[in-house]
Amino acid sequence: MRRITRLAAVATILPLALAGCGSGDDSGGGSGNAQAPEKTEISYWLWDSNQLPAYQACADAFHAANPEITVKISQFGWADYWTSLTTNLVSGNAPDVFTNHLNYYPEFAGKQQILPLDEFVAADGTKTDVYAPGLADLWVSADGKRYGLPKDFDTVAIFYNKKMLDDAGITEDQMKSLTWNPDDGGTYEKIIARLTVDKNGRRGDEPGFDKKNVKVYGLGLDENNGAGVGQQMWSMYALSTGWQFTDKNPWGTKFRYDDPRFQKTIAWWRGLIDKGYMPSLAIARSGTSVNDGFGAGKYALSTNGSWMINTYYGYDGVEVGTAPTPVGPSGKRATIYNGLADSIYAGTKHKDQAWRWVKYLASADCQKTVGDKAIVFPAIPEALTVAEEKFKAKGIDIGAFTVQIHENTTSLFPITDHASDIGAVMGPAIDAVLSFEAEPSSLTKANDEVNALFQ
Amino acid sequence: MRTSTERQSGTAEPRPGTSPPQSDTSAPRPRRRAGDLPVAMVFLLPAAVGFAVFYLWPALRTAYLSFTDYSLLAPPEWAGLDNYRRLLGDRLFWNALKVTVEYVVVNIGVQTIAALGLAVLMHRLTRSGLIRGVLLLPYLVANVVVALIWYTMLDAQLGIVNQALEWIGLDPVAFFGETSTAIPTIALVNVWRHVGYTALLIFAGLQAIPKTVYEAAATDGASEARMFWRITLPLLRPVLALVLVLTVIGSFQIFDTVAVTTKGGPINATRVIYYYIYEQAFQRFNFGYAAAVCVALFAILAGLALLQLKLLRAGDSDLD
Amino acid sequence: MSHALRRLSRRRTAAWAILVLFVLITLLPFYWMLRISLSNNRTLFANPGSLMPTDFTFGAFKRVLGIATLAEATAEGGSGANIDFWRYLANSVVTSAVITVCQVFFSAMAAYAFARLRWPGREKVFFVFLTALMIPPIFTALPNFVTVKQLGLLNTYAGIVLPYLFMTPFAVFFLRQFFLNISREVEEAAIVDGAGHAHIFFRLIVPMSSAPIATISLLVYIGAWNEYFWPLLVGQENDVRVLTVALGIFRAQSPQAGPDWSGLMAATLLAALPVIALFTVFGRWIVNSIQFSGIK
Repeated sequence: MRRITRLAAVATILPLALAGCGSGDDSGGGSGNAQAPEKTEISYWLWDSNQLPAYQACADAFHAANPEITVKISQFGWADYWTSLTTNLVSGNAPDVFTNHLNYYPEFAGKQQILPLDEFVAADGTKTDVYAPGLADLWVSADGKRYGLPKDFDTVAIFYNKKMLDDAGITEDQMKSLTWNPDDGGTYEKIIARLTVDKNGRRGDEPGFDKKNVKVYGLGLDENNGAGVGQQMWSMYALSTGWQFTDKNPWGTKFRYDDPRFQKTIAWWRGLIDKGYMPSLAIARSGTSVNDGFGAGKYALSTNGSWMINTYYGYDGVEVGTAPTPVGPSGKRATIYNGLADSIYAGTKHKDQAWRWVKYLASADCQKTVGDKAIVFPAIPEALTVAEEKFKAKGIDIGAFTVQIHENTTSLFPITDHASDIGAVMGPAIDAVLSFEAEPSSLTKANDEVNALFQ
Repeated sequence: MRTSTERQSGTAEPRPGTSPPQSDTSAPRPRRRAGDLPVAMVFLLPAAVGFAVFYLWPALRTAYLSFTDYSLLAPPEWAGLDNYRRLLGDRLFWNALKVTVEYVVVNIGVQTIAALGLAVLMHRLTRSGLIRGVLLLPYLVANVVVALIWYTMLDAQLGIVNQALEWIGLDPVAFFGETSTAIPTIALVNVWRHVGYTALLIFAGLQAIPKTVYEAAATDGASEARMFWRITLPLLRPVLALVLVLTVIGSFQIFDTVAVTTKGGPINATRVIYYYIYEQAFQRFNFGYAAAVCVALFAILAGLALLQLKLLRAGDSDLD
Repeated sequence: MSHALRRLSRRRTAAWAILVLFVLITLLPFYWMLRISLSNNRTLFANPGSLMPTDFTFGAFKRVLGIATLAEATAEGGSGANIDFWRYLANSVVTSAVITVCQVFFSAMAAYAFARLRWPGREKVFFVFLTALMIPPIFTALPNFVTVKQLGLLNTYAGIVLPYLFMTPFAVFFLRQFFLNISREVEEAAIVDGAGHAHIFFRLIVPMSSAPIATISLLVYIGAWNEYFWPLLVGQENDVRVLTVALGIFRAQSPQAGPDWSGLMAATLLAALPVIALFTVFGRWIVNSIQFSGIK
């Protein structure tokens, strides 16, 4: 044993002798010195490692069709992605094409870091109306220029634990027709109460329910509060009252966190904590994610985005179903409708090749390849059909997520300038309300701070 | 207890027959006074190159940027003292400073005492490399992973620590989730990672204390406690100064643990200064302002280090 | 006498008890990491209170070593990233070793100038060096990235090691403190014998400080080994990617998803092994090289 560790140690230090100080400059080298001048390599970045195989398949297919262009894919985890990307943008070294997010692109577009695609679109006659309605418009900036072509989209729904539903005597059909209002919470709150169980086995709607010692919460609380958007946390309630984030969307300049409908929604939401139906903010923030709590059987229901489907369905021993978000006072359901796109770096040396790659990524061909892996929802309807089939083959019905598109009850993700500044104001403000250190009315002051950013 | 400085010891104890020790106060031979500077420059050269390119230049750049309005993605524009004016009125900056100081006090307090105790225990009890190795293990694990493992272990519903508390009949505690416990929790998690490492530094200092001193004291019948206060602590001073300066500066730069666990929350309870700088620089693209916060932090740390070095007379040794 | 002895042994027992307690607190999280690394990711959260691995499997280690197929990896809740473990290991070993040797050597030279030589402005220059500790790495990363890019060293070993090669304030400070402690007499005797500074440095100071030098070498090596953000920025290419960067794939990859817990823990444990082996050798060496205290 000792000899082995010693050997390993020797192996560890041995290169010292070989390497020596200051050597090593002769290693590596670029990979761009191709012989034939027309051969180019373009770089492409993405963050989701789960989608890497799909996009590698796209890159291979693209290379087969365009032998003179090679696509080199790099993947970074979410947090590293943006810091790396920023560093590379600043030093003029960014990837030719990269996956872009709605929170970041207004900043990048405003600072001329990404290319408007309009000329390419016009020259090639690329259709921008082939995507699920509205998705392409998300990527048109305030000045009317287009900065990305959609690749996928997401909506929000309710994940439920089938066995807990059974035990509570709630049918899956009931889940499909839930109603909600900010005053008494409607049938939605009734079900949440029913699904909550305390240490003694009493349910949340039974007398003698002990809200201080809850074993299973009816509804999970996300470890993020969603800052100013609350995408999978509270937006589906607030939007179903008829409330909207801003005066107009996209590119609103006036936020409406001072609206009573919004503040009543938040008040109702945090009321669930008080009633013992939802964990406190402290518990939600104490370690694991809301989905892991769901997987461990601590929550009966959990609202989350379609990008989490495979995670929720992946827990052993938990049978999962999904239901659309409840119908609100407006008489409609609501969900945020959000999507990603690919953008081209303004400093790229291979504009045309980059555009061809972006066009391919946004094409039905590539999106079908992506849909085939059943991880996200592709932006092109026929590719979505492929994904739908593949999800079904895994035993997952994505109807709860797509129904709102068919019924036209979606709301676009609020796109404005100052997204991260708004998040920095609203995050702590909503935290304070959720932890009962401030009243929902305090959000009016936060709203003033947010609107001051647009002055 | 002798507290002579090196410099004084040189003049106080001139030895006949040897050249006078290098000293600024005595009258050394001209050869030596003029002679050491060129030699010093040769010895310093590589380090100075590295310092100038990879530390000094970025520092100067940061200082310059702190007087500009710089969004990272567009060229900086001169803004004079704007960022500093904004800093003074920034409630979140002062909150960040307060939170950071809380963290440092808990972190350094617990860590230094534990490490000192640990080092002395190891020194007096055992030479076992195994124990030292075991205590250093947490340092082998990256900050981020240490934070993640403790984060799951301390979860209020699923964490093993809270399961254990339940088994012995206690209520679960949302360590990272409560505004009141989040900072101490983060501080103690980092004590866990660094205490063995700090103890090793101190242990290296203990090894440098001649055994003969202890042997002499033991023959005189001195107790363990007395030996600790009268021999160990004073002779350890240079190393302790080093450890304190290094750990305090390091402690002020707490970032990774917050970034992967609480992300500054709940509310602003763990929005430590370095995390605030990061948010301003890379998330909100207020790089100029972040640079100003950085300069402020730098000034505070430099002042603190100077103070510590003075108080602990780090340049001196009692061992002479 | 026997009374005193008993009291002494009781004290020693108490001291040992404290030491053992420290060791236990240190080790428990490692047990938990081992447990998670041997669990199936998909069953991990269903059994939070179980002290044994849930649904025991070596799958996580296979993923880390890059020998799991895509299907195997996804079946246990991992991602299908390609991992060329041995290459990344070799890259880590080479870069960390070069950093350690050069940094410790150059820092020792600087420390010698600060501790053993007399020259005007010495303390001030030393303090300036020390202030380098206080510059947050996020502010050095960007300019350094630009520097390394302009030198054309992106995606080379040289680019990865360069900022750490010449000095760190930590190493200089550490060694200076130990050099200060060395008695002057030996040095003076050598000067009388006509020895030059190179001789004093290599033949006296360095050998006499072998224990601190071994200690700092180990710490620098660990630090270089664990370095993440810088090699992520400058060493993305497969040829030069180091272990920490490659194993970052086991961390959370998208904003809401959790990490591949089993993979992350297996990666952490495997990545620590080479350094543990190193310590096993170095640790004994530190113990065996503390003879210099008798010199005085």
